[in-house]
Amino acid sequence: MNKLENIRNVKRRVLIVDDEIINREILGNILSADYDVSFAEDGIAAMEALEEEGSIYSLVLLDLLMPKMDGFEVIEKIRAHEVLKNIPVIVMTSEKDAEVKSIKLGAADFITKPYDYPEVILARCERIIELSENKNVIKYAATDTLTGLYTKDFFFEYIRQAELFNKEAARDAVVLNITRFHLVNELYGREEGDNVLRFITGIILDITEKNSGFACRSEADTFCLYLSHLDDYDDFLSFIKKRMRDIPHASSIRIRIGVYQNVDKDINPHTWFDRARTVCDILKNDYTKQIAFYNNNLYEQSIFNECLINDMQQAIDKKQFVVYYQPKYGIQNGRYELKSAEALIRWENPQYGLISPGLFIPLFEQNGLIQKLDSFVWEEAASQMEKWREKYAIDFPISVNVSRVDIFYPEFFNNLKNIIESHQIDPKNFMLEVTESAYVDNVEELVEIIEKLRDMGFRIEMDDFGSGYSSLNMITSLPFDVLKMDMKFIRNMQKDEKSMRLVEIVMDIVKFLGVPVIAEGVEEEEQVNILKKLGCDLIQGYYFSKPLPPDEFEKLIEKELEERKNI
Amino acid sequence: MITIDILNEWGADTTEGLTRCIGNEELYLKLVNAVTKDPNFDKLKTLTSEGDLKGAFEASHALKGVLGNLSLTPIYKKVCEITELLRAETDIDYSGLVKEITEMRDQLLSYAE
Repeated sequence: MNKLENIRNVKRRVLIVDDEIINREILGNILSADYDVSFAEDGIAAMEALEEEGSIYSLVLLDLLMPKMDGFEVIEKIRAHEVLKNIPVIVMTSEKDAEVKSIKLGAADFITKPYDYPEVILARCERIIELSENKNVIKYAATDTLTGLYTKDFFFEYIRQAELFNKEAARDAVVLNITRFHLVNELYGREEGDNVLRFITGIILDITEKNSGFACRSEADTFCLYLSHLDDYDDFLSFIKKRMRDIPHASSIRIRIGVYQNVDKDINPHTWFDRARTVCDILKNDYTKQIAFYNNNLYEQSIFNECLINDMQQAIDKKQFVVYYQPKYGIQNGRYELKSAEALIRWENPQYGLISPGLFIPLFEQNGLIQKLDSFVWEEAASQMEKWREKYAIDFPISVNVSRVDIFYPEFFNNLKNIIESHQIDPKNFMLEVTESAYVDNVEELVEIIEKLRDMGFRIEMDDFGSGYSSLNMITSLPFDVLKMDMKFIRNMQKDEKSMRLVEIVMDIVKFLGVPVIAEGVEEEEQVNILKKLGCDLIQGYYFSKPLPPDEFEKLIEKELEERKNI
Repeated sequence: MITIDILNEWGADTTEGLTRCIGNEELYLKLVNAVTKDPNFDKLKTLTSEGDLKGAFEASHALKGVLGNLSLTPIYKKVCEITELLRAETDIDYSGLVKEITEMRDQLLSYAE
């Protein structure tokens, strides 16, 4: 129901401007039953009345030919006035040319002279006031007060309207996000934050004007743009980059843009922007790119990721995560000797089957869920060690992965301590694998934490050595007990002499550091022979065994124990 | 005293005129009385005789609006005629037309008295 109808009984005030008293009286007589009526006898008197209390008028009925200031000039003055411009003007004229001119100047409607039937005049006045009031209500509801852009709901309604009449036109959905915008508010205050938003709005308005589109601010720091299709976004991006140079506090923020090109008109516009937003979000942690484009694979990937994140806790509860063990063999003592194993997580998902850890571990590292998962693996591995001690009377060493996220978790030390204590495990047999990149990112803080872990009795394996960017100088000062060479070295070493030389150099460094080295990803006998010659201590890889569930791994333990008996 | 019957006899479309006044006869007759004293009649006469066609147009245009609204048809038609000629600044002798208009006005004035 139109809310204005509810307040229809409130008498609006209209201003009749005519230099002829007879006309004023006739019109006043017609309107006075429904309206409070004021009169002005020329343009100057009209402007004085309006400027004095303009906001009380709902309508101006304006004669055109008047002495002192004519009606056209009055319309121009009203339209140029910040407050008065919202008051609709109906002109009263007997000439067609004047009708056209006044409508072009911004008049809302016209009444012919001699006057039409009173009912017609009243109906026209009522309709124009209603339209104007609706327009003003819509204007306030439709726009974001800070930026003047559409609000989200109206943005989608305008898209619906645009699509009704121009469905064939190719269109793009663009989502623009200001990363770290909260920093501007925090560092420089809310007012400066608002200035940044207004500045970006200026850029957006230029873009929408150039590309026959419109935009809204959908969230505090996110804008949606509905634009004519562009094949190439190079100029678009250059334009934004150029304009961003002048933005206040440019160094504190970063713009990222997700684009869904040539949107599918058979799906809901909200989905267009969900897709653009999804690719925009993918850029959150990728500082090398500012713009990303939606494609189906990317979208399916993000949906898949979302499912994994949502399912994770339930998967732990329902025991869908299973810990497998991949053996590490010593190769320097005349036989292949089972020394230890690495605990590796596997996810047996009822919907997707066995999911590779490569798919979910980086994902959980991003959002911190890895801490829960790693903790689960530690507990499982410790429990398994206890079972094997009971079954085989040996303390079989197992290494577990420790993510950089885990290390900064407040309960990290307590959690590890509780796990090994509850299963009565000697920490030296519970080895912690920390990736080289974790060291590089937080070197000073991490060194301190690693030292504390070593003081607690844990041994540290530096994982994926060679994949990060630690300098040789840094390596000498980092605390670790075992070094695991990144599997890429092994895979490449037979390709050419340079790659082989690189492995030799790594082995020299390790010898210099005086720590054992583990080669990962070893798949062929020749690789084993080469590594043996180079002095590599331990080997992990498919050559010996893929990661195995505990019951299958037990066969390897039993074989090892048998061999030991025979030595 | 001017009445609806007199005006009808004179040729005014009083039904239309009264409709614009929402049937208010008193108002309508008051306005008809008022128009007979409209200074634009004298202005029209003076300015046409002085050759001020622009000024004369403004006077005739103002009269046209008022007379049309009161549906004083005979005089309204004549004023429309002279208004269009003056709008186009047609170089003619306006005295004849002005005389006709003045006589019609005078007639109305005589009813009013």
